[in-house]
Order: sequence, then C-alpha cells, then structure tokens
Amino acid sequence: MQSILQVSGLTKKFGGLTANDDITFEVNRGEIVSIIGPNGAGKTTFFNCLTGFQRITSGSVIFEGRRIDQLSAPAIAKLGLVRTFQIVQTFAGMSVAENVIIGALMHTRNVEAARKRAADVLAFTGLSSKKDVLGKNLTIADKKRLEIARALASDPKLLLLDECVAGLNPNEVKEAVELLKRIIGAGITLLIVEHVMEVIMPISSRVVVLDSGKKIAEGRPQEIAADERVIKAYLGDRYDA
Amino acid sequence: MNIKTRHIWLILLALFAIVLPLILDSPFARHVLIVILLYSILGEAWSILGGYAGLLSFGQAAFFGIGAYTSTFLLINWGVSPWIGMIVGGFLAVLAAICLAYPCSKLQGHYFAIATLAFAEGLRIIFLNWNAVGGARGLDPPILPTSLWYLEFHESKLPYYYLLVLFLAVVMLAMWKLNSSRLGYYLRALRESNNAAESLGVNTKNCKVIATCISAFITAIAGTFYAQYVLYIDPASVMQLKLSIEIVLVTMFGGVGTMFGPLIGASFLTSISEIFRVVLGGAGRGMDLMIYGLLIMLISTLKPDGVWGLVTERLGRRPGKEKAKTSGE
Repeated sequence: MQSILQVSGLTKKFGGLTANDDITFEVNRGEIVSIIGPNGAGKTTFFNCLTGFQRITSGSVIFEGRRIDQLSAPAIAKLGLVRTFQIVQTFAGMSVAENVIIGALMHTRNVEAARKRAADVLAFTGLSSKKDVLGKNLTIADKKRLEIARALASDPKLLLLDECVAGLNPNEVKEAVELLKRIIGAGITLLIVEHVMEVIMPISSRVVVLDSGKKIAEGRPQEIAADERVIKAYLGDRYDA
Repeated sequence: MNIKTRHIWLILLALFAIVLPLILDSPFARHVLIVILLYSILGEAWSILGGYAGLLSFGQAAFFGIGAYTSTFLLINWGVSPWIGMIVGGFLAVLAAICLAYPCSKLQGHYFAIATLAFAEGLRIIFLNWNAVGGARGLDPPILPTSLWYLEFHESKLPYYYLLVLFLAVVMLAMWKLNSSRLGYYLRALRESNNAAESLGVNTKNCKVIATCISAFITAIAGTFYAQYVLYIDPASVMQLKLSIEIVLVTMFGGVGTMFGPLIGASFLTSISEIFRVVLGGAGRGMDLMIYGLLIMLISTLKPDGVWGLVTERLGRRPGKEKAKTSGE
C-alpha cells in the first residue's frame, strides 16, 4: 500500500515538558488510522504539529512525498491535509451553508461554484435542512457535524478528525459513525483521535496508542484491545492482593 | 426584497442624493451634507476592517492624513493635480498599511486597536515636528482658479458634493462586491475563528494585510478630498485621534458590517453635532459632544446592531437571518 503520511521521530517540547516524544508511524492511502490514549497523552498536540498549528521541535512529517513540518497551517490545508477541532470552532455568526462555503473556497475563487459544492457536501452530511441556521444556534452534535462538513468541502486527501463524537449521546454517536462510514466510502483517508471505543473498533484499520507523549503500541484494533501495555496505560499496573 | 424592488430603491436613493442639495441650498446645509458624505466614506472604509475582519482600527486618521498631506504637498511644490496626488497618497497609505498590518496581523481585538492608535499618534507627532510639511502650522494649497483638474471650486459647494456622492457610490459598490467575494467570506471567517479559517486554507495574515490596504487606500483618497475642500490642513485637523474615534463611532452607531450603516450613522451624528454647535453656539460649548456621546451610549446598550439593525428588523428584511433566528433554537 502506498503511504500518504509519514511521521518520523516527531518530538514536541514545551519548555521542559515533552508533549510528543519521538513518534514514528505511517498512514497508507485509503486507511482509517485511530490514535487513542489517556488524557494528556499528547494526541491533540500531535494533531497540531501535523497541521502546522504548532512547530515541531525535531523529526519530520512527510505528506504525499513532500516535507510539510515547516509549512504554515493554511499551506498544509491547501495540500489536502485538513483537520477538525476537538473544541468546535464554528463560524458562529455565519449560516451553516456559509460555514461550508469557506471550506469549498479553498480550491476555487468563484463563490457560485463554492456554493454548489457546499450544497453537495451539506446533502452528503445530512445538514441540508439546517443550511440557513446560524452556526451558534446549532446543537453540539450538529456543530461537530458541521466541522466535518466544512473540512470535507475543501476536498481533503487526508482528513484529521479530533474527537468528533466526544460529548454526543449514544444516538448521535450512531449517526456520527454512519457519517464516518460514508466518508470512508467516498475514499478519503482518515486519521482519527478518539476516546469512544465503539467508534474506533469497528471502523479502524489500525490503532496507534499514545501515552505520556510516546507511542506505546500500534496494530489492529483487536490486538490493541488485548495489549498489556495499553491496558496498563489506561488502568495502571495489575493489582495483586 | 427582490431584485426589482431593490433597483427601484437604489434609483430613488440616487435621485434623492441628486436633488437634496438643491432643496437644502444654504451653504451651511450643503457643508453638513459634504461632511456627512466624507464620514460615510470613512465609515465604509473602516467597516472593511472593523465590520468584516473584526480588526478594530483606531488609527484611520493616519491614512486620512497621509492622503491629505501627499496631494497637498505635491500641489504646493510641483503643481501636481490633486487627482494624481490622491492616487500617490493612496499608494503611500497602502505602504503605511502594510508596515502597520504586517507585524500586527497576529494581534486581535484590543491589541490591534492599541497598535493602530499608537501608529496614528506616532505619525501625527512626526508630522507635527516635520518642517518640510509645515509642522504645526500645516499646509494650505494655493488658491487656483476654479477647475475640476485642480479640484478647487470657489463659487459653489455643489461640485464637491456631487464628486463625493460619486465616490461614496463607488465605495459602496466595492463593499457590495466584497461582500459576495472570496475575500469577503474569508474576512468574516477569520473574524469568527482565526484557527478554523487557517485550518481551511485561509491565509489569515495576507487577508488582514489586504483588508487594511483597501481601507487605507479609500481613507487616503477621502483625505485628499478633505484637503481640497477645506484648503487648509494641519496635524490637528487631519491626523488627530478624535477623527479616528469619530470614524469608529459613526459606523458603530449606524451598524457595523452593513452597507448602509456608515451612511446612516454619519447622517445622524454629523447633523446633530453640527446643528447643536450652531444652535448652542458659544453658550453650550461642548454640548454637541455630550449629546453625541449620549446617543452612542444609548445605541450601544439598546441596539448593538446599530440603527440599521433596527431598520432591517422593523422591515423584516434579511430573510436568511430571520429564518436563522426562528429555526435555530
């Protein structure tokens, strides 16, 4: 399989704190890779580093054969590596359709063309009926959905989703998973940060586990679920009475 | 409102603008109208930054001054027509805008406001102490025979008025175009969330610099018009902080980020302040400013959308927004 993203030796330090420590892994085209790990494991920092929102301290990130770790966030997005945010960043004063148009404008100057593209994406993500609603008036589930729609409108090659189902109720989670499956069906490569196992397990082709900034395991979902180191990272050492 | 009724409204508005100074034919009334037009243009220019991009500029006087000084300086020293002078001034203001906006593009909210304020004050003090441009004495363009080429009309204020109407129309058309352009969308997006905009490929730094340049260019051209209208400029009249603040207030009063907001704000506030100054005369010195201040306080507490927000609400226009309010929950 052809790799789309290669991360090698990625290290990010904030002063004395090492948030990401020598992380190395690859994402292949068409794959769904999930990153899991306890709170504070460095998952969001890792996303920020990949997408140019933070400068890495050392290591390299190669996207489609091109080194991107020194590029700015918008430049990386234009190459097709697009992210969503854990804490939703809806354009609150703009309508749902306008939110998506911003994404669609990435590859066209023509607002009319962007509007058409946005309409398609809204239909795809099931937001068509809410297209005139202001971003700030959406429920959290719809805001998360809008984050994804906006990113999709920019025609990404690799989509990075940062906890896109966190805080949703079971029903909303089910709908979100349906959407993820449709995105996968459309042939977009996904890199997901997630806590909710029922999302990750059925759709991931591979899982990477971070703990205290280090990659401690990588493999198929079933292998990961049974991995001693992963269980230890989440639950601590085995307790012998 | 459909396109046809909108056209009719625009034609009526244009007719109104043409006929108005013929009805109000006293020099004082015409003077007030000219000042209103000037502030409307300045408010529109500010709106590109403050309304769209969410960058609060308190330094518009710097660009205004650059425009006024450039054309006047060129006219005095080399007899260059103000039409050419205003273009040169516009580009010098763009240069100043780049110097200001490039390093400040990471600043947001209050910090951008402080930076622009300091920039304008700094420039004012330089001009105040710069002998080549007259220092504190200022500059007065030579009195030339009335001509369009030299932008001097001594018999009547009407030519100034109509030129400014035309200028305002062009600026409003540009704003309307901007509203539905990619840059317009991008500026609104980065105002809402800089990070989200960047994640969608918006080069926010460039957008902010471009917005500042457009705003500066328009403001500088208005500066040239002012200089040719008053025929006297000094740092206290074209570069002072009061002017920057008035530009902000006029727009806020009328409605930030709307096309007609600055025009409405300028009409209200300028007429009120000019009329009170005349009516109260020496007895009520400063009264006009107090009433001005009171109005601003009222509108900002009661209707932060400005007067135009009030108008559109009453008329139930802006269908998109109205729908958004009811179906959003």
